[in-house]
Amino acid sequence: MKLLVVEDEAGLRESIREYFAEAGDVCETVKDYPSALQKINVYRYDCIILDITLPGGNGLDLLLTLKQNRFPDGVLIVSAKNALDDRLRGFDLGADDYLTKPFHLSELRARVMAIVRRKSFDGNQLIVFREIQLDVLAKSVLIHNVPIKLTKREYGLLLYFIANKGKVISKNALAEHLWGDGIDMADNFDFIYSHIKNLRKKMIDAGCKDYIYSAYGMGYKFSD
Amino acid sequence: MKLLDKYNRISLITTILVIIITGVVYYFTISYILTAQVDKDLVVEENEIFDYVKVNQKLPQIFKSDDLKIIFKPAGNETVQRQFINLNYWNDKDHDRESGRSLISSVLVNGTKYHITIIQSTVETEDLIQLIFLITLGIILMLIVVLIIINRLVIRNLWLPFYNMLAQIKLFNLTDHNTISGLQTNIEEFKDMNEEISAMSTRVRRDYEELKSFIENAAHELMTPIAVMNSKLDTLIQTSNFSEKQGELINDVYNTVGKLTRLNKAMLLLTKIENKLINDQEQVSIKTATEDALSQFQEIFAGKELKLHSQLGDVQTSASKAVLDILLNNLLTNAVRHNIPDGDIYVTLNEKELIIKNTGKPDPLDTQQIFQRFHKAPESEGSGLGLTLARQICENYGLTLTYSYAQNLHVFTVGF
Repeated sequence: MKLLVVEDEAGLRESIREYFAEAGDVCETVKDYPSALQKINVYRYDCIILDITLPGGNGLDLLLTLKQNRFPDGVLIVSAKNALDDRLRGFDLGADDYLTKPFHLSELRARVMAIVRRKSFDGNQLIVFREIQLDVLAKSVLIHNVPIKLTKREYGLLLYFIANKGKVISKNALAEHLWGDGIDMADNFDFIYSHIKNLRKKMIDAGCKDYIYSAYGMGYKFSD
Repeated sequence: MKLLDKYNRISLITTILVIIITGVVYYFTISYILTAQVDKDLVVEENEIFDYVKVNQKLPQIFKSDDLKIIFKPAGNETVQRQFINLNYWNDKDHDRESGRSLISSVLVNGTKYHITIIQSTVETEDLIQLIFLITLGIILMLIVVLIIINRLVIRNLWLPFYNMLAQIKLFNLTDHNTISGLQTNIEEFKDMNEEISAMSTRVRRDYEELKSFIENAAHELMTPIAVMNSKLDTLIQTSNFSEKQGELINDVYNTVGKLTRLNKAMLLLTKIENKLINDQEQVSIKTATEDALSQFQEIFAGKELKLHSQLGDVQTSASKAVLDILLNNLLTNAVRHNIPDGDIYVTLNEKELIIKNTGKPDPLDTQQIFQRFHKAPESEGSGLGLTLARQICENYGLTLTYSYAQNLHVFTVGF
C-alpha cells in the first residue's frame, strides 16, 4: 500500500509511519497544509490519513480539493474533535472513515486496510492468509477451502488480527475494537480471552495452524 | 412575613393609635368648650337674679323652663361657697332624672340670705359628644378599610417591578440561555436594582461560558498528547521481547491511558450536551435502541453471571440517536458495574418510563450525591461522570432521572 500521513504532531506522525513501514507499506508523511496540498496534487495514494486541524489550513479543505479533482484516493480522517458535526461534515465531503484521537495503531491499520480493500479496482473482497480465506462481503471464513462457522465477534477478531499480522496487539486495542467506545467496559478483558480461546479452538479443529500467540501477558500476536 | 403585610400592620396600628388619641383630645376639648358655654349661661342667669333683687328687693318668680331649673331657699347662717358642680337632678318637665350642670350661689334679700341653685340640663351636650364619638369611630373604620384597599392596590402595583425581577431571578439558570431582561419602571431604586442584576447575570454567564470553553479546550488539547502516548505504547510493544514483568507494567500504562481517555471523552461529551451542541434529533424507537444496547451488553452480562429480565414496550421519541445510546450505555454500565455476581438486572420500558433495576450492595445510595460529578464508590473503576452525563442528557430532553431503592434493588427511572 502507498499511504500519506497528514499530521502536525511529530510523535504521532512518526509512530504511524513506523507502524506501516514495518509491515512493508510505503508511507509518506507531511506536517502542514501547504506541503500536503502539494503532495496530493502530484501523487496518488491508496489511502490518505488526514488530520483536520493543521498548521496553515483545514484538513477538510484538502478533502474538498481531492473530491473536486475527482482523485480516487481513500481518505481516513483522524481528529481530536469527536464533534458529531465534524464527523458528518467529513462524511458529506466524501471521507471514507473517521477515527477519533486517541486511537490504537492497530485500529488505524485495520481501518486503512478496509478502505483500501473497498477501493480496490479488481473488486477482490477475498483476504487470504496461508490456509485461511476471508470473504469480507459474505463475512465468511474458509480454512483449507472448508467453511467454518464463526460468531460476529470471532470474525471481527480474525479480520483485525490478519490486518495487523506480525504485530503485537494490546488487549486494550482489542477490547476497544470489539466494543467501540460506547461502552465504558473496555477495562474488562475476560471477554477477550474467552473469544480468542473459542476462535483458536474452531480454527485448530478445522485443521488450521495456530497463528495466535499470547504476548507477554499484555496482548496477542498473529503470525506464522 | 411579606413586606406588604408588615407595612399594612405598621400603618394600620399607627393610624388607629393616632385616631384614638385625636378622639380623646377632641372629646376633652369639646367637653371643656361646651361646659364653659353652659357655665356662661348659668352666670348670665345668676346676674339676672342679682339684678332683679337689686331693683325689686325681692326674689324673682320662678318660671318653668325646658332646661333651666332655679331653686331658692333660705340659707340661715351658713356660708355658701359659690361653685359649679355636675349633678343628676329631677327634671319636672321630662319627668326623669337627668344629668345637669349647676351653679350654687347666694343672694341677700332685705337682710335674709338665700341659697340659689341654678341647674341647666346637659343632656344635649352629652348627645353631641356621643355623636362626635360615633363619627370618630366611623372614620376609624372607614380609614382602616380605605388603607387596606390602598395598600393592596397601590403598594402591590408599586412593587410589581420587584416581583417581576424576583420571578426572573428565580428562573435564572446558568445553563439556559434566557437572560434577565429590562423592566418597565420609572422608580429609580428598581431601575438601579434591575440594571445591576442584569449586568451581574451577564457577567456570571460570560464567566461561566469562558470556564466551559476552557474545560472543553483543555480536554481537546489533552487528546493529542494522549494519542501520542497511545501510539508510542503501540510502537513500544513491537520492539523486542519483554519479560512477563515488563508486560504487566506496560499493561498498567495502557489501562491508565485508557482511563484517561475515557475520562476526557466523558468531560467533552458533558460540555457538549450542556451546550446543547448535539441537535441531530430524529424519530427513534427507544425499544430498538434498548434492544441494541442490551445485545451489546449480552457478553458482559454473561461474563458477570448476571440474569437479564427485560420487558420492553414499543415506545417512540424524538431524540438524537447517539445521545440516546450514550444514556442507555451509561445506565446499563452502571447497573453492571455495581452489581453482585449472580445478580439480576431488570429493564422495563413503557409509555411513561424506562426503569432499570439492579441488585447490588444492600444499602440505598445517597440520592444527593450520586448524580454529582466525580462522585463514585471507592471501589468503582468508572470515571465518576456516567450518571452525571445521564442526568444531563435527561434534563436536556425534558426527561427526569430519579433514583430509588426498593426491595433490595437499586432503581433508576427515566420518566418521559
